Parts: sequence; structure tokens; C-alpha cells
Amino acid sequence: MEFPRLLTLLLIVLEWTRPGLLSPLRPICDLRVLDHFIKEARDAEVAMKSCREGCSLSESVTVPQTRVDFDVWEKKIALEKAQEVQIGLWLLKQALSLLRTSVTNTALHGHIDSSIRNLLSISAVLRSLNIQEFTPPDSATGLEGTWTVSSSTDLLQVHVNFLRGKVRLLLLDAQACQQDVS
Amino acid sequence: MIYSHLSRYWRFNVIVCAMLSASIVQSAQYFEKKVSMLLKDVPENPKCFAEERKDFTCFWEEDEERAGSVDQYSFTYTYQNEKSNRCPLRTLRAVGGKRLFVCHLNRTQMFVQMDIQVHREEMLIFNRSLLVELVFLLDPPANVTVSRPGQQGQLNVSWVPPPLKYMDDSMMYEVSYATADSHMWQVEVAKASSKMILRGLQSGTNYKVRVRVKLDGISYNGYWSAWSDPVYMETLPEELDLLIVSLTIIISLILVVLSLTLLLYHRRFLVKKIWPNIPTPDGKFQGLFSVYGGDFEEWLGQSNGGLRLITAVLSSEESPSSLEVLSEFSLLLSSPPLPPKASRALISGRENDRNGKKGMNGRQQLEKGDSAPTEGWRAPQHDQWLMGCLRALHQDSSQSSLLESQDAYVTLNANNYSNDDHLNDILEETSPLGVLFASRKTVSCESHSDLGSVQQSSGSGRLSSQSSFEYPNHAWVPKGPGYTYMAVADSGVSMDYSPMSRADDIGKMVIYANDYKNEIPAHRRPFLPRQRPVHEDDS
Repeated sequence: MEFPRLLTLLLIVLEWTRPGLLSPLRPICDLRVLDHFIKEARDAEVAMKSCREGCSLSESVTVPQTRVDFDVWEKKIALEKAQEVQIGLWLLKQALSLLRTSVTNTALHGHIDSSIRNLLSISAVLRSLNIQEFTPPDSATGLEGTWTVSSSTDLLQVHVNFLRGKVRLLLLDAQACQQDVS
Repeated sequence: MIYSHLSRYWRFNVIVCAMLSASIVQSAQYFEKKVSMLLKDVPENPKCFAEERKDFTCFWEEDEERAGSVDQYSFTYTYQNEKSNRCPLRTLRAVGGKRLFVCHLNRTQMFVQMDIQVHREEMLIFNRSLLVELVFLLDPPANVTVSRPGQQGQLNVSWVPPPLKYMDDSMMYEVSYATADSHMWQVEVAKASSKMILRGLQSGTNYKVRVRVKLDGISYNGYWSAWSDPVYMETLPEELDLLIVSLTIIISLILVVLSLTLLLYHRRFLVKKIWPNIPTPDGKFQGLFSVYGGDFEEWLGQSNGGLRLITAVLSSEESPSSLEVLSEFSLLLSSPPLPPKASRALISGRENDRNGKKGMNGRQQLEKGDSAPTEGWRAPQHDQWLMGCLRALHQDSSQSSLLESQDAYVTLNANNYSNDDHLNDILEETSPLGVLFASRKTVSCESHSDLGSVQQSSGSGRLSSQSSFEYPNHAWVPKGPGYTYMAVADSGVSMDYSPMSRADDIGKMVIYANDYKNEIPAHRRPFLPRQRPVHEDDS
């Protein structure tokens, strides 16, 4: 009677103290996660459009280009796509942080905060799919494939279009999810 | 050899041309449908839609009279942060005297805002901003097939989604079905799948099914496509569910068994209800119907009718009524004696001697032929009254009062008596009054010494308790305490036995009604010194 109990206790303790190798993230292939983020970004855009005061950008920001030409996109290699998306996400994070400080309307703060959180979650999703991360250069200006926007509505519109377009296409194409696709 | 190659090449070309023309014709049909649909539903001008991944079409409609030539119009589109481009226009004739101006682009950019401007001779007539991925108008799903799965009331529907890469999981479908002859369409929605099972359908019915597609609106958006051509299929015919059939049979068997058991248990009761035993007087009048054909007088004359009657009465299940004739003195003197059989009949058994008392009740000694009354009579007060009444009736009589005379009287009691014992008792002479008082306990419902009382069954139920006390052997089944008295007015020929209801016509005829306890109204009681009401003693 005593021995099995001891053994159980021993196994539990060993499990806790297992060497801390993080198990690899499971790939998040379900696009409903991204769809949820897109919906929230759309809500933020709508809220910003109806804002009258206290909701302007203090300065121009650099944002990624959102346009997708399918012919062109298909010809790109996976690495290029990944790079475009990762840089774009980084740029958007910067821009939204700036927006958060610029906007004084408290009703919009929740939207902007959730948008920033969602961008971080998307980065985690990409990490789970083993998509390479890119560290952008120090100066964001002059990067290829970027725009400059000066209004908050434009910024949020770019944010929505970027998620719906390039990010989604990248996730669809992700190698880690290909075997799941029937 | 060259010839064969040429012929093959020629045939291949013909086939390809046919297919192309068919597809062109079909796409032209689809185009017309889409144009008409957009003209109806979309208010903005120009109306634009994307069909494939890269195609993009814009058009607007103008009246024939006001439309200019194609050259007068210019269609300009500008993507965000890019320079503008022009789209070549073409014109089509439309129904109703209208003209369509169409711009078609083979390459588009999605996820970016597109500004469209239409100028007519330097004048801006239309201005619109849109995103191309949000105005999809697809062709209806192709190859819609409907099949029957193995189950009742179900149909399997499957189709081929529109061939749009990257957009398969963004599509949603509507499957619409109805019975073949009705227009009540029911709709089911399916998301990101290319098949569906329709449930809850009627068995053995012909259904028509059609499908349409639309992008779900999250990443891409658009308008509902046209309905596909309906496909007809009949559902499986209805078959009996084995479980239900077997359960029905078992339950019906159980119910049958239960009802049979119930019927058998209450067999006699039911038979009595359905087929009641109609009593006939055959049993009591032996030979009356069989021999004499119902002629009662003849039967009485021919047989020992009195004895038989007594026997019959005594042995019947119902208690015979008792007829008590208190006084026959006048009759005896002035008229021939009663026929023996009649008198015997009147003397039917009474149950007075359980306690060994004798002759309280009237007896008649008709055979003796003298006027000596057979016995005393109880002294209920009503008896005195009755005697008084009789006295009054027989005023011409030279007899002394009934009160003092020992009158012979006959009582018919509603009791079951044993034949021999009571006959002896009946024929015996006793002193009337002494016996009356001595035999209190034998008070029964029948009024023994009543004058001309005929005990009949009536309503009050006080009898039963006493009777059980009085008659421990339970031979007597009382029928009710009510007495109907009638004076036996005997003309020597017939006796009037007509019964009357209680207390109906006292004094009118010689009908007297009496209770079980022999109570009669005080005013009717003649004074009798020694008389004590029996019921008082009994209490």
C-alpha cells in the first residue's frame, strides 16, 4: 500500500521539476482566431469614424502597404511573404501605440488597446507556425512597401486591411497547417 | 497519316470551340443575370462587382435617348497612394430601351481602397470608393447533386464551390428546398463546406433543391449569387418501423387480455345487466300457464289453489304482502263463508311465533264457521281505529262492537314462513288481547292485528334493524314497514285486494296505511283501555 503512493508522489514531483524545455507551440491553424481579430479591428475603425474630437494623430506614421495582387503574391516566396507580414505588424504596433497616446477620447482607448493586444497575439500565432521573425531596421522611414498616413481613420483602415489581406493569406499558406488542410 | 492527324486536330478544335462557346454563352447568361440583379439591388453608380480572383467589372445604365457615345465617357480608377488609371468602356444594349456602359478589368488589387470616377465630357457624373474584395458576386455553385442516404426523410446535397483560391473557407452557402409542386422554400445555411444533409423531410415525396453562395463578410464580402438550377429527387418511401409495430401489437394484446379478464370476472354482473332475468309468474303458479293458459280462476278452482298459493308465496324470494282482515264477523253471519281457498290464502304465513307467541295476528277460523274470532290482536292504536272504521262500515251489522268481539281476521304478512308451523299457528284460536300484549317482541313490520292491513313493501327502512333482531334466523326479508290496509269486503264472490298507497285515502275506502311501528294519528285512535301501543313497549 505504501509503495504505490510513494511512487505516485515521486512521479508527480519529477514532472514538476522536469528540465524546463518549453514544448513547441502547437500550430494555430484555425483562422477563426484571426477572424475574431479582424472583427475587433473593424469595430475600432467604425468607432473612430464616428469620433468627432480628441481622436486625431499627433504625427504621421509609417504603415505597411496593404494591397495584394494575387498574381504578384503567388509568385513571392514564403520568406518574402513572412518578411512583409512581420515588418508590417511591427509598424502597426508602433503606429497604434502612438495613436493610443495621441487620442484623448477615452471611448476609443479600449478599442486601441484591444487592437494592440491582438497584434501581439497574431505575432504569437505566427511564432507557433514557425514563421520567421524579422527585426526591422532602426529607421522605419524609407522602407519598401510602406505608406505614410496622417489621420487616425486611415491608420485604422490600414490596420484592418492588413489583417484581412496579407496576414490572412500568409496564415492560409503556412506550411505548418498544410497537412491539416483536406 | 497526315490526314489522320489533321482530322484529329480538327475534331479537337471543334470540341474546344464548342466548349468555349458553351461557357461563353453560359457566362453571358450569368452576366446578364448579375447585371439585372445589381441593377435592382445596388443603388450606387457605377455598379461594380468582382467575379473571379482578378476580374472586376463595373457598369452603369442610361436611357437610350440621353446616352452619348462611348467616347464621351471616361472611367478612371485610382488605388490608394497610387496614380490613376483609365478603363476602356464598351456599350451594350439592354432591355427596356436602355444602354449599358461596362468597364472590365483583368487585374485588380485587393485590400486597398479604389476610387472610381466617371466623367462625361469632362463632367464628373459618378464618384465611388470601394474595396474590390468586398464586392464579390460569384457564379452559383456548380454540379449540385442530391442523393438519398439510407434513412427516412433525409437527402444528401453536395456541390462544387466556386473555384476561388484562398477563399474557400470564407464562403457561405444557402441550400433551399421545397416539395416539387409548392413554392414554399425552406432555407438552410452552410458555412465553408460543400455538402449538407437535409433532415425532417416527408417520406416518398419529390423535392427540389437549389444552392447559392456568398462570401462570409469577414475578410471578403459580396452579394448573394443567383440560385443554381433546381435538382429534383424523391425521398425514400415510408416504411413501418419495426419497433413501433411490435410495441403496438404487444400493447394491444395486453389490453385484450385485461379486458377479457375483466369481463370474465364480472360475467354474472354483465349478464344480468345485458340480459336481465325477467321474472315470470310461472314458478309461483304451477300449471297456471302451462295447463290452464293463464286462466286464473280455473286454475284456482281446479287445484288446491289456496294451499298452493300459500306454498308459492311462502317459498318465493320476495316477501308476500300480508293482508289482515280484522273482522269478518259480519261476513260470517250474513254471507256464506269465504271460500276456503281464499281464506287460506289470506292467512299466509306470518312470522309471529319466533318467540313462541301465538296468534297475535289475525287468524281466521273460517272452517269452523263460527264467528269466534281466532285470536286476539295486538293493540296498536291504529288497530282500534281500524276496527272502529270497520264498525262504521258495517253499521247495519247487528254485531256487537268489534272491539269486544273476538273477531276473526286474516292477515297476510310479508314474511317468509315455514309452512307447517305457521299454518298451525294460524288456525289456532287465542284470546286476542292477551296475546297481543304478550307478544310484543314479535312486532315486526307487519301489523298483525291490524284491521285489514295489507303489508306491502314501501319505502321506509326502519324495518331492517328490527327485523334482524326479531328474526335471528334471517328467514324473513322485510320489504318495508309501510302497510297498506284494506278492508276485505267480501261479497262471497271475490275479495278486493286492491292495494293503495299509504295514508292516501283514509276513510274513503277501506284503505289504511300504517308505519312499521304501527303509529297512527292520535285522533284516529279509538280509546281502548287495555291497549298499549306495541311500539312503546318495544322501545
